[in-house]
Amino acid sequence: MAFKIRKDLAYRRVGGELFVVDAAGARLHELNGTAAIIWEGLDKGLSEAELAAGLAGEFEVGEAEARADVKEFVSGLRRAGLLEEK
Amino acid sequence: MAMSRAVLKIAGSGLSFKSDFKGIISVLGRRYAPFIVSGFGGLQFDCSEGPARLSPFRPEVKWAGSRLELARGDFRAALDTRSGRGTLTAAPNEQCLDAFLRSLISSLLIRDGGLMLHSAGILKSGKAWLFPGKSGAGKSTLSKLAAAAGAEVISDEINMLRFERGRWRVYGSPFWGEMRSGGRQGSWPLGGVFLPKKAARHRVAPCGKAEAFRVLLRCAVNFSRENREAAAVMSSAARLLAAEPHRLEFSKKDAGFLELVG
Repeated sequence: MAFKIRKDLAYRRVGGELFVVDAAGARLHELNGTAAIIWEGLDKGLSEAELAAGLAGEFEVGEAEARADVKEFVSGLRRAGLLEEK
Repeated sequence: MAMSRAVLKIAGSGLSFKSDFKGIISVLGRRYAPFIVSGFGGLQFDCSEGPARLSPFRPEVKWAGSRLELARGDFRAALDTRSGRGTLTAAPNEQCLDAFLRSLISSLLIRDGGLMLHSAGILKSGKAWLFPGKSGAGKSTLSKLAAAAGAEVISDEINMLRFERGRWRVYGSPFWGEMRSGGRQGSWPLGGVFLPKKAARHRVAPCGKAEAFRVLLRCAVNFSRENREAAAVMSSAARLLAAEPHRLEFSKKDAGFLELVG
């Protein structure tokens, strides 16, 4: 199943961190490092496989490790209710 | 029954209230006396009195195009910002009208690229210095120390900013915390922003942009649950970072921190 960022979220990158405001849930989320990169990739509509390939290239880690990181992060975002099905 | 009217000017917005009932108008006249102006103009509300229901307590704010709706247990308002005409049904007491005005003005400021900020505001050298923080951060303590040292306090709880001609201006505030002052009309250029922290001695330290942004977001007054308003608050908070916020450690012993500001 593919997921995308909920349309009703506002986000902004400041000082190396990515701040996500869930106005409906009155919550502020903060992402840094890899998490912020994955978030921005999701916002561009990249698939999990494309995100993993990008991370593997940028951080010189194996694709399997990158894929696991992306999967775990996407699961976390789903649990936080920040993603919706494509 | 005679029609009565009160006209306020808060954060640059003219707000005219008229009613067949004296209750709301007399509360507005008493509670916001320093912000009463003569004449008409600005946004106009036809008012009626309603019950003082306590639930729901949190104001609900909804925008639909140019129409703004505000509601809480004890008030309900609708405003067409294009025509400047609106209606308000509210309980005629200070708590209700204070909550209504906070939700109205914060909503209008956000749409105008401004902010209502939980903060202490202090005047020094003709400029406004803001100290944003949530409850317990030391806003009232800082304000009382500054006032005791002869400085004018804009508010110890809620300050309002507009971005005008490329610069931030801070407006006089009727919204206060422990000091319970009335405030006064006026606007001043923003001097700077300091994130307060109680400490053993006075000290100014650098503050990262992300840390300052986090505090500004948490201190911005925004009752809306809508994405557009959240994005506007983020945009204004990011613009406020240009004021290069610092961290201010302050001692409760005296107002020596004023010498470090400005």
